[in-house]
Amino acid sequence: MTGAAWLLRRLVASVAIVFAVVTFVFILIHVAPGRPCPENVDRAVCDELTRQFGLDKSLPEQYVRYLVALAHGNMGNSYANGRPVGTAIAGTIPFTLQLAGAALVLDFLLGLGLGIYQAVRVNRLPDVVLGNVTLFIYSLPTFWLALLLLLVFGEKLRWFPVGGASDPILCPVVNSLYCVVDRLWHTVLPAATLGLVGAAGTARFQRAAMLEVARQDYVRTARAKGLPERRVVLRHQLRNALLTFVTRFGLAFPFLLTGAVLIETIFAWPGMGRLAFDAILLRDYPVVTGTALIASVVVVAGNLLTDILLGLADPRLRVRATTDVEAVTA
Amino acid sequence: MQRRSFPSLTVFLVLGVAGLAACERRGGCTGANCGTIIDAAVAEPGTLLPPSSEDIVANDIGEQLFLKLADVGMSENTLGDEDFQPLLAQKWEWDGPLTLVFHLDPRARWHDGQPVTAADVEFTFNAYNDSVVASPYRPKLHRIASVTQRDSLTAVFRFREQYPEMFYDAVYHMRILPAHKLRPVPRDQWRTAPFGREPVGDGPYRFVRWQPAQSIELVADSTFFLGRPAIRRLIWRFTPNLQVAVQQVIADQADVREQLVTPENVERVRAAKQLAVYTYRGNVYTFLSFNQRAPDDTTKPHPIFADREVRRALAMAVDRASMLKSALGDLAKVPPGPMSALLWIWDPDIRQLPYDTAQANRVLNARGWRDHDGDGVRDKDGQPLAFHILFPTTSVLRRQYALLLQEQFRAIGVRAEIDAVEGAVVNQRVGTGKYDTAILSRANDPSPSSGIAQSWTRAGFGGSNFGRYYNAEFERLVDRAVTATTRDRARPTWRAAMETLNADAPGIFLYALDNYAAVHKRVDNVQFRPDSWAALLRTWRIPPDKLIDRDRVER
Amino acid sequence: MTLGAWLALFVTLVVTAELVRALRHRALRQERWRRFFRHRTTTWGLGILVFLVLVAVAAPLIAPFDPNKQLDIVHLKNHSPSWTFLLGTDVLSRDVWSRTVYGARVSLGIGALGALVAVALGTFVGAVAGYYQRWIDAVLMRGVDVGLALPRIFILLMAVALWDGLPFAALIIVIGLTSWFGTSRLVRAEVLSLRQRDFVVAARALGAGSGRVIFRHVLPNAAAPIIVSAALGVGNVLLLEASLSFLGIGVKPPDPTWGNMIADNAPSIYTAPWSTLFPGLAISLVVLSLNAVADGVRDALDPREEAA
Repeated sequence: MTGAAWLLRRLVASVAIVFAVVTFVFILIHVAPGRPCPENVDRAVCDELTRQFGLDKSLPEQYVRYLVALAHGNMGNSYANGRPVGTAIAGTIPFTLQLAGAALVLDFLLGLGLGIYQAVRVNRLPDVVLGNVTLFIYSLPTFWLALLLLLVFGEKLRWFPVGGASDPILCPVVNSLYCVVDRLWHTVLPAATLGLVGAAGTARFQRAAMLEVARQDYVRTARAKGLPERRVVLRHQLRNALLTFVTRFGLAFPFLLTGAVLIETIFAWPGMGRLAFDAILLRDYPVVTGTALIASVVVVAGNLLTDILLGLADPRLRVRATTDVEAVTA
Repeated sequence: MQRRSFPSLTVFLVLGVAGLAACERRGGCTGANCGTIIDAAVAEPGTLLPPSSEDIVANDIGEQLFLKLADVGMSENTLGDEDFQPLLAQKWEWDGPLTLVFHLDPRARWHDGQPVTAADVEFTFNAYNDSVVASPYRPKLHRIASVTQRDSLTAVFRFREQYPEMFYDAVYHMRILPAHKLRPVPRDQWRTAPFGREPVGDGPYRFVRWQPAQSIELVADSTFFLGRPAIRRLIWRFTPNLQVAVQQVIADQADVREQLVTPENVERVRAAKQLAVYTYRGNVYTFLSFNQRAPDDTTKPHPIFADREVRRALAMAVDRASMLKSALGDLAKVPPGPMSALLWIWDPDIRQLPYDTAQANRVLNARGWRDHDGDGVRDKDGQPLAFHILFPTTSVLRRQYALLLQEQFRAIGVRAEIDAVEGAVVNQRVGTGKYDTAILSRANDPSPSSGIAQSWTRAGFGGSNFGRYYNAEFERLVDRAVTATTRDRARPTWRAAMETLNADAPGIFLYALDNYAAVHKRVDNVQFRPDSWAALLRTWRIPPDKLIDRDRVER
Repeated sequence: MTLGAWLALFVTLVVTAELVRALRHRALRQERWRRFFRHRTTTWGLGILVFLVLVAVAAPLIAPFDPNKQLDIVHLKNHSPSWTFLLGTDVLSRDVWSRTVYGARVSLGIGALGALVAVALGTFVGAVAGYYQRWIDAVLMRGVDVGLALPRIFILLMAVALWDGLPFAALIIVIGLTSWFGTSRLVRAEVLSLRQRDFVVAARALGAGSGRVIFRHVLPNAAAPIIVSAALGVGNVLLLEASLSFLGIGVKPPDPTWGNMIADNAPSIYTAPWSTLFPGLAISLVVLSLNAVADGVRDALDPREEAA
């Protein structure tokens, strides 16, 4: 099918998926036993909230009201402190992007580098050693690694700050170069935790992908033709292996958005994962639904972007898209 | 060629950036009124509006933003008006046995420039007393009939009855609020009102900013009428738990951690060169509350805990001294009743139930709780002697105690299950009586009268007396103790009351922490008033020769 | 450690070594096993797994103390490792070695159960989607997309927070129900390619029903991704359980799992690091071994190698 038709189809599917996710979360919340109010309010206030938010109406009616409000860009107000959900989430997005971005940069640089190096020196000593090291790091529980890094680099060596996203005195807002550096400095430990484990996985995956490509006929042909080794590696293996890497990249990002709850908790990082976590425990439903919506939009957008990039680079991949890549990452 | 210069270019860039960054930091504040104090706080408040918040951090910040009419002195005396420090009220007098008149200080100003008037005092009392606002402080004010303004600087308090702590009740519980800012806000929306996130007060510090999930910043009000605070900036920095907070203080990223709790933390702080450890009497006691109503139907009595003998047996089965030694070492004491060391009625000689597992076993057997089905757990009429212990997930110490208790109960054939849930959920469950037992903490006011009544008498039904403990004799004794005019006269009555309560075992009183605080050594004149550690923050100082980087920053 | 416990441990080690050796003998005769054991890490991984499973099974013999018993809360709190307490004691004076050994039962059991649910569901959905294609495939795969759009921790937290008193078995099922999406895609891809192969066409020509074709002919040849998924799945569930316990949701105390041992003892990490180190190491070892074994399975069943 043509590029445009394919794109349209994917867009429609993406919107449908987001829709389905929000509906699912909505139903899940309202079907669960217990009152719809957050836990720290007593009956009188709960009744008032119920009336105010229309929680006593039927489920379909609430759903429609929510969608209508959503169409106007209104995600409701938090039950716990009355702030608009949109504002609360928007406040966390820069921090989440910072952390996710830094982690992915580390993941990308280190993982790609290691994976390629291992593939080039396949089955020799560096490959074997690195293979074991990456295997070990990949198997560590991330929160355990986080505790260790915090202890060693934060408390004992004092190279990096113990949690937090910024210096509260000098840089509550980023308004100077110093503050940018300060932010980066605070990002190092949490990003390193996520990035190291991610890099280990990426290295393993990249190595496998490059070895697989190496076996394919056209690479063998190029070698047989007598092209210099370097060119063979750089031109063919790298390009094709990078394609699959892009896929992985697109899938990792959404996870970092809401799946990094543990890291955000340990490092006192005010990101979206922590917001969602606190809201779930407090039964702050508007915030929960709002974060679910944003998270699924990002995931779906990430998938879509990845598929577009792959489709542009290699038309053969359009049909296959994001299939067995997750096997290694799941 | 290009390739080789690349690395050196990067190095140069990095150094340059770092250099620039470092240069920017040099601030300029010198002198006696600089200084920044960062407190590593554990829980982020929900709102800073005083009547609507009960959490500790909100209270500490409220101390800096909002003034009371007067406050207790370091002696913590609550009888009459001895040793009370004038704040908003410059002077006061009695106009008859039931009428107290306050004259406000004409220099007092709200941070937006408006003067503080008696209208604010009247408005504040009505708000605190309003059931729609549902302030947790409301029950403490029940003996005050009304507050009116005689003129713009004179407020008149009228009481329902005469008793020794009239002055204390009038001044201690309420923080005066700006009527001109809060009158337009509907009372049922006070809990979520924007004012609570951007408060305007009249205290020594004014509000600067609140970064959600990160920090709250206050700055000294240089025109504060009782004297400019020496520390220029106060920052409360939120951390997810006590461990990270302690880590921050040790790593010199925070200056104060007002409670260290565990022996390990105290040890680590003592090893940190830049920190000093201060101790002050604790004002919190923690206990296991027995719910005497059935959790699934609160009109019926609890199948296990409604029986006084069973409660007594469970209390006797627990070795409180060993648990305390294990969890807290020397940093706390076993309370002789529902009190902390702050309360003057503390007396280790008050009669309590002894640790006696043999007796506990005998009593349980006598009440029909035996292991009929051989599964290691006692039962009676098909119901096993099993229950849940509820506590908030955030408290590591209470979790430890829950596990210790679980094991001690197991030894006498009682099965306890752990229920760790979010703090707000704990409050909701105990508030509606939907629990078996819960590990709860109570902070004491300087006087036993309001707190004890709230938590252990019928006045606390629907309030803090979650377990619905009631004993007519106990209430009679408390009423008598509260009306005694001197402490010496009240002491034996209080003792009798506590012994009555202990004998009924409405709960197991586990520990009363002594407070150990970590404060940066450069801070001078550190005073902790035990009932509220942050009350005297405005008197702390950092000498000009001890300023460090974060003190000097001009912003 | 008592003499009996040492003896039991020794016997377990010997049995493990023998089992692994017996399996390696197969490598002499069968090509696939030879490929499986090609790398040393795979052998070690298999050995560690077998050892830990045996330890879990023989827990009552290998653990000298009751894992939940608080031995002496005043004097034996946070005792460092010694001959009596091989891995030390924790903050409540419980023997860490005994808890780790019994914890293996719960943790490995949870991992296996969760992975079983995930792989079974994923295989079923993937096979049906890949075999029948067209609209069934489209609907199922869109469902998978929806499932992948929400992070697992989110759904699990919601399940735990919304349903009070959710029994842990139910939580494992929910973990399984949220972990099958990747497997289904893998299986679908395999089934799609296998479907065109001669033996499948032949089976259908002979009149075999769809179910029969799927189960007897297609799936056995799609074994590679399924087994690999299962192996990795156990590791993932294990890590997930540890994370949930750390967040305060998970197996209720006092029963030990490796995850809640780390959670319980995290505050003592500075003064008594052994109580968090060993359960953490145990988790890492299991996940590592599973990954190594999965690598080996991939090598063994790789169709390209078969052809070569």
